[in-house]
Amino acid sequence: MPNRPTLLLTTLLLSIALSAPLAAAPVIGEPAPEFELTDTAGTTHRLSDFRGRTVILEWTNHECPFVQKHYDSDNMQDQQRTAAGEHDAVWLTIISSKPGAQGHVGPEQADALTASRSAAPTAVLIDESGDVGRAYAAQVTPHMYIIDGEGTLVYMGGIDSNPSADPADIPTSTQYVLAALDDLAAGRAVAEPVTRPYGCTIKY
Amino acid sequence: MIPIRPPLPLLLLALALLPTGAAGAAASGPVQRDHVVVELVSAVEHVQPGTPFRVGVTFEHEPEWHTYWQNPGDSGLETKFAWTLPAGLAAGPIEWPWPERHRIEHLVNYGYSDQHLLPVTITPAADLTADSVTLAVKADWLICRIECIPGSAELTLSLPVRDAAPTPSRFAARFDATAARTPEAVDWPAAFTTEGGQFGLQVQDVTGLDASRLEVFPAHPTLVEHAVDPFVALDAGTLQVVQPLSPFFSRTPDTLRVVLVDREAGRGVEVAARPGALESLGPAATAASGEREPLALITVLLLALAGGVLLNLMPCVFPVLSLKAMSLVGSGERAGRHGGAYTAGVLVTFALLAGALLALRAGGEAIGWGFQLQSPGFVAGLVYLFFAMALSLSGVFDLGTRWMGLGQELSGPDGLRGSFFTGALATLVASPCTAPAMGTALGVAAALPAAQAMAVFLALGFGLALPMLVLSLVPALARRLPRPGPWMVTFRQVMAFPLYLTVVWLLWVLGNQVGSTGMSWLLAGLVALAFALWLAGRTAGRAAAAPGQALAHVLIGLAMLGALAAWLNAIDFEAPGRAATAGAEPWSAERLAELNADPARGVLVNMTADWCVTCKVNEAVALSTDTVQDALDAYGFEYLVGDWTRRDPAITGYLETFGRNGVPLYVVYPPGPDPRPVVLPQLLTPGAVAAALREAAGE
Repeated sequence: MPNRPTLLLTTLLLSIALSAPLAAAPVIGEPAPEFELTDTAGTTHRLSDFRGRTVILEWTNHECPFVQKHYDSDNMQDQQRTAAGEHDAVWLTIISSKPGAQGHVGPEQADALTASRSAAPTAVLIDESGDVGRAYAAQVTPHMYIIDGEGTLVYMGGIDSNPSADPADIPTSTQYVLAALDDLAAGRAVAEPVTRPYGCTIKY
Repeated sequence: MIPIRPPLPLLLLALALLPTGAAGAAASGPVQRDHVVVELVSAVEHVQPGTPFRVGVTFEHEPEWHTYWQNPGDSGLETKFAWTLPAGLAAGPIEWPWPERHRIEHLVNYGYSDQHLLPVTITPAADLTADSVTLAVKADWLICRIECIPGSAELTLSLPVRDAAPTPSRFAARFDATAARTPEAVDWPAAFTTEGGQFGLQVQDVTGLDASRLEVFPAHPTLVEHAVDPFVALDAGTLQVVQPLSPFFSRTPDTLRVVLVDREAGRGVEVAARPGALESLGPAATAASGEREPLALITVLLLALAGGVLLNLMPCVFPVLSLKAMSLVGSGERAGRHGGAYTAGVLVTFALLAGALLALRAGGEAIGWGFQLQSPGFVAGLVYLFFAMALSLSGVFDLGTRWMGLGQELSGPDGLRGSFFTGALATLVASPCTAPAMGTALGVAAALPAAQAMAVFLALGFGLALPMLVLSLVPALARRLPRPGPWMVTFRQVMAFPLYLTVVWLLWVLGNQVGSTGMSWLLAGLVALAFALWLAGRTAGRAAAAPGQALAHVLIGLAMLGALAAWLNAIDFEAPGRAATAGAEPWSAERLAELNADPARGVLVNMTADWCVTCKVNEAVALSTDTVQDALDAYGFEYLVGDWTRRDPAITGYLETFGRNGVPLYVVYPPGPDPRPVVLPQLLTPGAVAAALREAAGE
């Protein structure tokens, strides 16, 4: 245990100086981590391919009740269509579950899920190694990120403001992704750039 | 969802058939849900109007499954109750017992396993007339092992109402056991900061807790990175906690409740911490630890203004300013303009320094006010400046008075510029005094957004300029100052002594940076400077052709060169003991490459800096411990320490190769040919480092 002068020094330094930044997580207002992933059709996508368009990243796991909350209610699909239709945005659904873990799917099963749920992502990307998920510090499903046309991270956090598994809560919740897209469309800074992500732990 | 277990419907039927009240409590009883059985229970047999009582929901988890605390940790969801109560009854919040820490893969969650009870206090009205009351609650939770399942149940419980003291139910003992595991609310003064990516908590007047086994649970979700163990230190009743902020930290709560648990002693407390600068420790801080509301910006601005006014009395500022004030007296109606120019000088300089500070901070630099003093070159320069000013006041020479704005040029065209630069000089010389004196106040400023921080710095500057400005604008006041006269010579000479003391203080700062050898060089430089200035003072009045004048000029030049050389030499030294961690070698790219080329040797690299709190904490609690030192020896590791206290391009480049722009950085190079480096977390424990070394060594 540090002695009193050390503790005093620590306190002084803490109150006056600022300690080193953490490198682990992406930072709002900074370039979003570049990645390269293969979609269910075998096409490779890079984040930088979409420069000039808004990109939405959605971490998912179809067996997670919180993901089901937003798919069974069509909330997620509606947002995917709004993003594409009104904002010309790219919607990338990413699956980071490792093989054998909950939520892990192959390309065919992923396509079948998209079809059965009438989902409308631009592409579904498979991240078996979890490298991309870790680069974004994605913790749960659903976990949402928005990157603007210049490649800057402008939003990260939850899909909405009510951490529950009950679809009945959706109408009374703030839908953060749609709110952020509206902010971007209006040329405003995103009002709530970081929110609490809630859902199932990603099975890295 | 699995329905109620087979025997239960019968039991429920039997309960429902019993007359309410006659058999005590009627209830929905235990309800089976996925991996958990829940039940609404009461601590009392009957309700007495006006007497609060406890009910609660019990959770019996299947092995390995758990539900969550009010802050679930890195993932998960807190359990929620929604009550439906008859008129006259009101339910309080969940009285959370302290949680367990569950590590699930890379995340840490706070919750409960096995069986636990979440109690709530129900307050019945004093005029309750019903014969019985039925309480209903909809409980929602998330139950997880690795996968998670949301759960929900609507539970009811009927209790008779009697005007007699409540008698304990068969569940009363469980309520008592839960109460013993529920943190006690205490009013210990507590403050927290969220600056620089770290959560810092300071609690004072702490009693009855053992820091070595203290667990810290902030009640606010998405505040800290739960998976990283916090650094906890407790000394003389003051608790200090440092933990990285969560990447999803977004806003600072107005009040942060933190639960501190000493599980072994069976004691837990809940403190309410306010956002704000952590106090420097000392008797004064403890004595003044009454009500500490978060300061409004206007209050901070007023405090900064008052602080600025006080700065005029600082030993480094007063001598310069008092003499400036004297010279204003004679300048008549132009005095106001001089006051304005002086104020502008102060404010511009403050804005420049604060702007540099904020820009560097925005760039991720770990600095605070007084950052100029981190540079030994700057400190040594200040030593010379103050010493020269002091010698000038002592009357050894007369040059300094001109640019200190004391001369007769006030009436000349350069006068206003002179006043402006007096303001700039006052700010510059005030900065070493602001650092220690204003540290805590400026800590508040550092926690503010840039625009507000700048406002605070400018208020401080305006306060510094204010006495002089008032003096210059109100001739009546200026007239009340003593008339200039021969006494001013004495006054000037007396004023030299606070400056000499300032020199001593600066030399102490410098000594910490460059050691006694470096400091001796600078002292030698001071002698050379004194000689040059003394000679200059002696020869100043003589004609250029006077005998020995040429020689004097040569000597002055030589002495000044000597002072310069001493200055350059002094700042080249390093204080002994810097980064002198046990068993460490200084880092260099060459030495690292050399060691990596040796397949028998592994390397642990520690990139650190004196101003990096995390670094110092890690070195104290982990790297310097016997556990780590023994592991280094046992697995054949060399320990290289790079010191980034002063900017070092080689270290900056090395940090960049790991995508970092700051310290700490810990890298393990396993033994063997062409080793692949492993980066350690930024908060270390002895066990984690030893484990990483063992793993890297392949043992």
